[in-house]
Amino acid sequence: MTGKENLVYDVLADGAESGDGAVVVTTSDGAASVVEEFRDRVPKLRGAQLGVVDCRGEGGADPELIEGVSVHQVSSPGDLTGIGIGITKALEGLHDSGRDRGRLALVSLSTMLTYTDKKTVFKFCHVLSSRLDAAGYIGVFTIDSGAHDQQTIQVIKQAFDGLIDIRDAEGGGREARVLGLANEPTDWKRI
Amino acid sequence: MSEPDPPVILIVEDEPDVAETYKLWLQGDYEVRMGENGDEGLELLDESVDVVLLDRMMPGLSGDEVLSEIRERDLGCRVAMVTAVEPDFDILEMGFDAYLSKPIRSEQLHDTVTNLLERSEYDSLLQEYYALVEKQATLEATKSSAELAESDRYASLTEEIAERRESLDDALGGIEDDDDFIATLRGLSNGEGK
Repeated sequence: MTGKENLVYDVLADGAESGDGAVVVTTSDGAASVVEEFRDRVPKLRGAQLGVVDCRGEGGADPELIEGVSVHQVSSPGDLTGIGIGITKALEGLHDSGRDRGRLALVSLSTMLTYTDKKTVFKFCHVLSSRLDAAGYIGVFTIDSGAHDQQTIQVIKQAFDGLIDIRDAEGGGREARVLGLANEPTDWKRI
Repeated sequence: MSEPDPPVILIVEDEPDVAETYKLWLQGDYEVRMGENGDEGLELLDESVDVVLLDRMMPGLSGDEVLSEIRERDLGCRVAMVTAVEPDFDILEMGFDAYLSKPIRSEQLHDTVTNLLERSEYDSLLQEYYALVEKQATLEATKSSAELAESDRYASLTEEIAERRESLDDALGGIEDDDDFIATLRGLSNGEGK
């Protein structure tokens, strides 16, 4: 698992510890491994606290249940309407179990960018952010900065309030800094 | 300056009385076209149509078949299904942007049409916003931060982007509910992709 993925799972797990809902939109990891990652981090996790939107296009159309976690299948990482429907259903499920706030992770925008152009991904991020805002959810999205040209990164960045930069630290491990939430970037901190 | 053309609404409904009623309600604000069945509806459909009110149960082509033809042609219009039974969420999955269950009241019809037009408006605002963001990103990718700090063009672009962002969030009430969310996303995929 990459540093980015670790970090977003940690962010979601941190919310789940205090009872928040969690939604993971995945384009690469299977739903079962997403659930496992969560169980490792939050042993007391209730199934109804997590929803997974699996965009790998490998499952059937029917929603399934993995250890009490509902999984919504989407045909491909380029099916934006399908992803939207999956997220809506996941949020509905969480809402029905009494969770009116939470955190959503989308891993990763880089995969989506191989299926559709940056304009569409940018608009998707904007629309999704607006929806999450209304639903009381915080969104955390990952992108592999090395996989795209700088202009693409600059465009996608604009759809978000802030950015967390992660790099390999000298002497091993990783460090991160936050940009965009304050006037100046924060200092690099080991994570 | 001339008045902008009113939005065009296409009613596809096999019961003449019902279709006439919708037309009466809408014709003050919109240009209204009427098709008595699916085939007629498709004939009347072109780039200028903004919203289609589509009866689901009709002799001949069904509403579902007309819808798939509309999506096939990639016209970018919004489609509200009119149905006798209260549908569940599957309607959105089927590709409709909204639904109305009979009997429909005037106010309800107006609300739905207004909302669908706002979704299209939101998409074009988003389009304009994107164009600015792309310009800004190009500057950021090609100039040093010292050059950017000196650039008036960059400063005014940054300001305009902030304003646009506000107006996107405010003017149309953002994305308030699930139907808005899905309908807006569907707009992004229709004719906006590769």
